[in-house]
Amino acid sequence: MKKLNLDNSRIIFYVFAGCVIAAVFIIISAFTFKPEEYHETLPATFIEDFDDNGDKIFSSFDDMADEYLKGSSTDRTLAEFYSRRQYPDSPPIILHPVVETFDEQVQCLACHESGGWSEELKRNTPITPHPEHTSCRQCHVRSIEEDLFVENRWESVPPPRLGGAHLPGAPAPVPHSLLMRGNCVPCHVGPGAVTEIRVEHPLRGNCRQCHVPVEQIEPFKRGS
Amino acid sequence: MPVFSYLAHPVEGAKDKLMNEVKECDHCEVIPADNEDILIILTDTPDDDAEKKLWKKLTNLKSMRSLDMIFGHAGEDARKNIKKG
Amino acid sequence: MDITRRKFIKSAAVNSAIATAVALFPGISFSAWTNKEGASGQILWEKTPCRFCGTGCGLLVGVSGDRAVAVKGDPNCSVNKGLCCVKGYHSIQALYGKDRLTKAMVRKNGKLVTVPVKEALDVIANKMQETIKKHGKDSVAMYGSGQWTIPDGYAASKLFKGCIGTNNVEANARLCMASAVVGFLTSFGKDEPMGCYDDIDHADVFITWGNNMAEMHPVLFSRMLARRKKRKDIRIIDLATRMTRSGQAADKAIIFNPQTDLAIANAICYEIVRNDRVNWDFVKKHCSFHKGKTGIGYGIEDHFKFKDKAQNSSFQEFKTFLKDYTPEKVAKISGVSAMDIKYLASVYGDPDKKVTSFWCMGMNQHTRGTWINNLVYNIHLLTGKISTPGNSPFSLTGQPSACGTVREVGTLTHKLPFGVVMKEKAREKAAKIWKVPVKNIDPKPSYHTVEMFRALDRGDIRFMWVQVTNPMVTIPNLKRYRDGAQKKDRFLVVSDVYPTPTTDVADVILPAAMWIEREGFYGNSERRTQHFEQILPAQGDSICDTWQIIEVARRMGFEKQFPWKQETYIKDIWNEYIQFHDYPAHRMAPYNLLKERSGVQWPFVNGKETKWRFNAKYDPACEQKGFDFYGKPDRKAWIWLRPYEPAAESPDREYPFWLNTGRVLEHWHTGSMTRRIPILHGSMPAAYVELNPDDAADLGIVNNSKVKITSRRGSIVMIASINGRGRPPRGMVFVPFFDEKYLINEVTLDAFCPMSKQPDYKKCAVKIERV
Repeated sequence: MKKLNLDNSRIIFYVFAGCVIAAVFIIISAFTFKPEEYHETLPATFIEDFDDNGDKIFSSFDDMADEYLKGSSTDRTLAEFYSRRQYPDSPPIILHPVVETFDEQVQCLACHESGGWSEELKRNTPITPHPEHTSCRQCHVRSIEEDLFVENRWESVPPPRLGGAHLPGAPAPVPHSLLMRGNCVPCHVGPGAVTEIRVEHPLRGNCRQCHVPVEQIEPFKRGS
Repeated sequence: MPVFSYLAHPVEGAKDKLMNEVKECDHCEVIPADNEDILIILTDTPDDDAEKKLWKKLTNLKSMRSLDMIFGHAGEDARKNIKKG
Repeated sequence: MDITRRKFIKSAAVNSAIATAVALFPGISFSAWTNKEGASGQILWEKTPCRFCGTGCGLLVGVSGDRAVAVKGDPNCSVNKGLCCVKGYHSIQALYGKDRLTKAMVRKNGKLVTVPVKEALDVIANKMQETIKKHGKDSVAMYGSGQWTIPDGYAASKLFKGCIGTNNVEANARLCMASAVVGFLTSFGKDEPMGCYDDIDHADVFITWGNNMAEMHPVLFSRMLARRKKRKDIRIIDLATRMTRSGQAADKAIIFNPQTDLAIANAICYEIVRNDRVNWDFVKKHCSFHKGKTGIGYGIEDHFKFKDKAQNSSFQEFKTFLKDYTPEKVAKISGVSAMDIKYLASVYGDPDKKVTSFWCMGMNQHTRGTWINNLVYNIHLLTGKISTPGNSPFSLTGQPSACGTVREVGTLTHKLPFGVVMKEKAREKAAKIWKVPVKNIDPKPSYHTVEMFRALDRGDIRFMWVQVTNPMVTIPNLKRYRDGAQKKDRFLVVSDVYPTPTTDVADVILPAAMWIEREGFYGNSERRTQHFEQILPAQGDSICDTWQIIEVARRMGFEKQFPWKQETYIKDIWNEYIQFHDYPAHRMAPYNLLKERSGVQWPFVNGKETKWRFNAKYDPACEQKGFDFYGKPDRKAWIWLRPYEPAAESPDREYPFWLNTGRVLEHWHTGSMTRRIPILHGSMPAAYVELNPDDAADLGIVNNSKVKITSRRGSIVMIASINGRGRPPRGMVFVPFFDEKYLINEVTLDAFCPMSKQPDYKKCAVKIERV
């Protein structure tokens, strides 16, 4: 009991001493305020998850080197892209072997967060549009068995048609849902992108100023 | 307001001269061929009188050998609308 | 209509001749002609400025036969260098909506019936003359637009101010740019920005003040992003009252409480002075200090009058005045931390950083709009960051010709194409050019926009002609003014391209030739005048707005003032108009040059455009070396002591939320054009109310819940959007105004800036209920 009291008073003393020292520092720093310091320590903006997480377009665009954005050496085709999916927007399966560790998130994102050439697979790595979801294999699984347990009568829908521009040369609308696919840059730009949907103008940073999602197809009618 | 187009053949070696002469005329546009001695003349005149006068002037140009009419649009008095006030 | 038809006939004539020549001489070529046709052969590309915002992008419109079929960005236009936004790329589809107005209509026995255009024009002229006879010349009014072309506005001003003799000419730009204008005039004595878009290629830091450029000026925003990508030390800072796409893209987004931008701007100046970041050399040579009246009211009552009185002040007084605006004090009212305010001051104050500030409606639609414009200029003046490449306080404009038509031609009650009606010299100049007796021009301004609609309601105005705008969606506190417009003995003429809530209440509808269906000029945010040819035939009986005015003027007996021929009237009007601006500080480019180029910036002197004004290096109107702020009599830029004053209506216990309104990327203003473009309607089919997720949770509102918004003036029920396009802070809701089904302006307040008379659409108090 006694010992505990001693400890308490010591802690109070240390806290007090700490406060005094901190106060001195605060006072000193207040008088030696240098505006330039702020340039270096730009306080981060708290990005909120609205607008289909559209902020990621801007950060991906800013973070990727021009050379990468312009890279076009992809051999990935749209047929291959859809062959990994059950239906157009479903999570793709994992094609390559996965080494089982407890640290799996780090392993996936090491390649799939920023892409690049994979020496093992001899091709450019596709980038995920949602690297903030780090438990990758809750959705993406490996397919190791081809035979079915029981036949299934389910049928998919056809993937959205490409193009769809309303005028010759006009920017095409976004034919897919933006949920978890709000960042255009990973799939449509760079050497890991799919050939058919790679954009020809990768150095434009505000994709959605021209390409807008399709929310409804009925034309405008007054009074309805 | 008639619109006509012609193929114009200049006298030997006078293609440039003819072109300049035609350019001088009012209501006229001229498009030279790059690799033949021939010009396209486009006339866009306010009325039939002006068009007849212009045609006469063109055919009388010294460096003009022949003038063949290709396209004619006679104007559209019937289509007068409000904007002419 | 004839002009374009002739163009196609001529094109057919030449093509026939070429076909014949090819038959005669295989291999013959006519490069002088084929060049004009473009690579695709079928499509002819014609240049025009975009129809929509004040950025003024250059477009190339692809024409096949007599229809527009495609759009590309004009690579030769320095504004957009080949890029457009989704509106621009699909703009031509707005010409072909199925319900396009192609016939004139006159209301007979309560019903609108189709009539020949001639009859409608007769009705308008007779009604105007009759109304003037019965109620006086100030009982007729014209309400135009920042989407008017320059000749439209010029003809309107000449008819009403010069011929009829009333100053009842206003334009919707009053709702959009008036504070910017008065801000410029009070600080510099000359309207429109000193800088240009090239500032984007030079600045190190961009600060946007209440300006969601990612959606409203997307092409300029893209230019900023491209610059930041190239140079990693470039910063974009978004100062706003709500999180938007621009905030997302910015390096730093700072959210402040509505109206407190006034305090923040003063706090930035306080810090600049405190840290001695003042550019003394510049301030001593080029600035003078002034103060005006305070506690100036909000104009909510009819017949509100206000006139500011400028008094000389001094730096010492300015410094004392700023003591109320320490970052710590301002942090309390603005909700922005003192640290962030100091950060902003450090950016502005850093002599090694070039800073460009952008703003638009957030600062202009403000009951202290003039003041906040002054205050941001103060920051740039104190630090000398002005009129040099990259250092630019840049007031963006919303509409394609708010600058060109409304500000330069002067289609506002107090303005003439040169000067103001109150000045005798200005009246004399106008009378001489217009060939009217000088006594025709009334020296007293009459009604600004809000007061004009109040006068219509009261009955002081009995006849109003509306062109190229849709006030029955856009006037704040709308219900009063819509009821007013429909009162007995009120006569409303509307010239438009589609049926709208305004044509619904019209007595005469004139079908208008839209955009490239006639020849015209726009003037964009950076003093760029942009000519466009008539590229397409006008549809049905539709007529160009300028020609409508000419026809009515002639019917009223003003043939002498409106003598022009249909073939050349746009050129003739241009040549008459530029006589008003024939001096170095405002000289305009000649017609032929404008026809050739993708826009020309004024002042255009000795064959050269002026990119930065007030700087002798670039501006030929300067009479001294270095800077010369020649707009003011003391040849100095004026720093104003303008305090923070609260909004006209702030949230309280009964109405606890701020209501903020505005646009979205896809739609232009009231959507009368863009909603007819399938892809834009498809992407943004209906308006909604944006709520903060925490507020929504408190009120039990989820996405797509029906929500009732009520103010002291009206209420509206609409669908909730949470974490959609934007995200307001707690205590604020945002509603876009493009949707005529949800008339949010029945809820907004018709308070305005007493100096600029521009209403505040961004702030009023509402309550929110789940229905």
